[in-house]
Amino acid sequence: MASKTILELKQVDKFFGDKAAVERISLEIVEGEFFTIVGPSGSGKTTLIRMLVGMDTPSRGDILLRGERINDVPANKRPTCMVFQSLALFPHMTVGENVAYPLKCRGIEPGARKARAEECLTLAHLPMEYYDRPVTQCSGGERQRVALARALAFDPDILFFDEPLSALDYKLKKLLEKELKDIQRETGKTFIYITHSLEEAMVMSDRIGVMNEGRMVQIGAPREIYRRPNSRFVSEFMGEVNVLPVTAKGGKLHCQSLGTSFEVPPGAQETDGVLIIRPEDMRFVNGEPPVNGVLSGEIFNEYLLGSRVQYQVRAGGTTLLVEKQRDSAAPDPAARITFAPENSMLFAE
Amino acid sequence: MTSDRTLLGDRLLRSYVIFVIIVFYVPMLAVALASISRSRFFVFPIRRTSWKWYNDTFASLQIKEAALTSITIAFFVAILSVALALAGALAYARYDWKGKRVYQQLLLVPIFFPQSVLGLALQIWFSSIGVQMTWTATVFAHLVWIAPIVTLIIAIQAFGYDASIEEAAMDLGASRWQVFRDITLPLLGPGIFSGFLFAVLLSWGNFPLSYFTSGASVTIPEWLYGKMIGGYTPMVPAVGFLSVIAGAIVLIVGLTINNRLQRR
Ligand SMILES: Nc1ncnc2c1ncn2[C@@H]1O[C@H](COP(=O)(O)OP(=O)(O)O)[C@@H](O)[C@H]1O
Ligand SMILES: [Mg+2]
Repeated sequence: MASKTILELKQVDKFFGDKAAVERISLEIVEGEFFTIVGPSGSGKTTLIRMLVGMDTPSRGDILLRGERINDVPANKRPTCMVFQSLALFPHMTVGENVAYPLKCRGIEPGARKARAEECLTLAHLPMEYYDRPVTQCSGGERQRVALARALAFDPDILFFDEPLSALDYKLKKLLEKELKDIQRETGKTFIYITHSLEEAMVMSDRIGVMNEGRMVQIGAPREIYRRPNSRFVSEFMGEVNVLPVTAKGGKLHCQSLGTSFEVPPGAQETDGVLIIRPEDMRFVNGEPPVNGVLSGEIFNEYLLGSRVQYQVRAGGTTLLVEKQRDSAAPDPAARITFAPENSMLFAE
Repeated sequence: MTSDRTLLGDRLLRSYVIFVIIVFYVPMLAVALASISRSRFFVFPIRRTSWKWYNDTFASLQIKEAALTSITIAFFVAILSVALALAGALAYARYDWKGKRVYQQLLLVPIFFPQSVLGLALQIWFSSIGVQMTWTATVFAHLVWIAPIVTLIIAIQAFGYDASIEEAAMDLGASRWQVFRDITLPLLGPGIFSGFLFAVLLSWGNFPLSYFTSGASVTIPEWLYGKMIGGYTPMVPAVGFLSVIAGAIVLIVGLTINNRLQRR
């Protein structure tokens, strides 16, 4: 399949006063892909998406839709549409009126409107008897589906989502994530999705863009971002990690606070900075000769995380996290910990 | 122990509320009683009652004309203040612009201005720019005071729902006009209606602004005042009581409709 660019951002900036909320973002979105923008709260995701749908204009830079500059095209003249964080359903209308609204705006006659709206309800897994129900009587999950159906009725070239699932409980969230991914596959539309949850991004996306303080810090496939985060920020954003401050000394990395030296990760340049290791990449040493420096500490806490157990180990004034399979043997409370050099990541500071 | 105390608190609160209601409404009752006294002057207890003054009131052409003037003024004030307030409230609640703060303060000042001073100021102003003092001048005088209040009422309604609802409509392809017709107006409906109601009632009962600006036209409160300082008859309390009843009916009907609107 030849991949075609549908949306392109060139050095897009957005300033509020003299504070940049979005800074020099360049990005190409491919037709038909599920692209997710993740970042902590306040990183500029909403600001970015509002420019992409036409509710705000960039301070600098260009936004191109299929090669045409659309910076100043207002939202109601763009073939794109968005599901809001607040959902923004019309509270004075029924479910059916909500879903049919974009068709009404387009001047489609009532009969055809209703038929199309019903199709979209079905696509969003809402039973037909909801058509005449006031939206104010729908549950959280149902509202979610109404908002989705309404956006689908618009039949946009690109469908945007601004954290629509963040208010739902875990189970419902998981279900809707799957459905959303299925709908995207079924319709073949380009989805651009915003979330602050990397887990959510991992499940659904073809590609992920990670944002921090208004900048796009890494773009890649979920696996790539997980395997090769390009900064301390991204690796910490992925989940809980161990961070060891180190200084480069004679081909090794010395951690002052723990009094131990470690190998430089293969392929990395020797430098002062932080060494980052995921809890699941930490191992307890039992006898076999270690391939890397060993840390001694004391287990003072353990948590059950589904199929794994997380141990909190106090070592030299810091707390280290180690995760193991639940059914493996219990470790010695006076623990000795190590990790393979290839499982550690070194970032200069 | 605590339940005893809350019980006592409840009782005290209830007695207080009843007391306040009595203090507020007994004077109204006095007016009602005064209006059915047969004698020309008000003496208590009333010896003989009569509907004479009400018959006279309904027969009086002067009062009919004053009522008509008051209704006409209230009608125009309500329509115009809702139109002004709708635009003002949206400018305030939906847009960011320089001087918004100052606008808010300037808007609120007339509400707290002593009305007789405001009336006098408007009289001087109207005559200096050559506006005839008739009921039309009174409409504008009432607007100065009432439009800000209606603006507040509608602005509260506008802050009551998320602006993203309007953005979503536009995002779904609605033009500005469609957004206004399909989303903004229906959602502001209850606020617009309450604003209208307030405007009618405030204009209906206003004396000082009318007094200074209406020239030869006479409104109901002006008629009452005129009769009170010269030529008192029990028609004064009769008209006064009827005027309160009229206001109360407008209020009750209005609130009922408004409750329906809100519930939808
Ligand atoms: N209209 C605005 N005026 C001023 N600052 C804003 C405005 N909108 C957003 N910001 C600021 O821009 C930054 C990014 O906000 P936002 O895009 O909402 O982040 P996110 O959606 O990632 O949580 C925040 O610091 C926020 O305070
Ligand atoms: Mg946001």
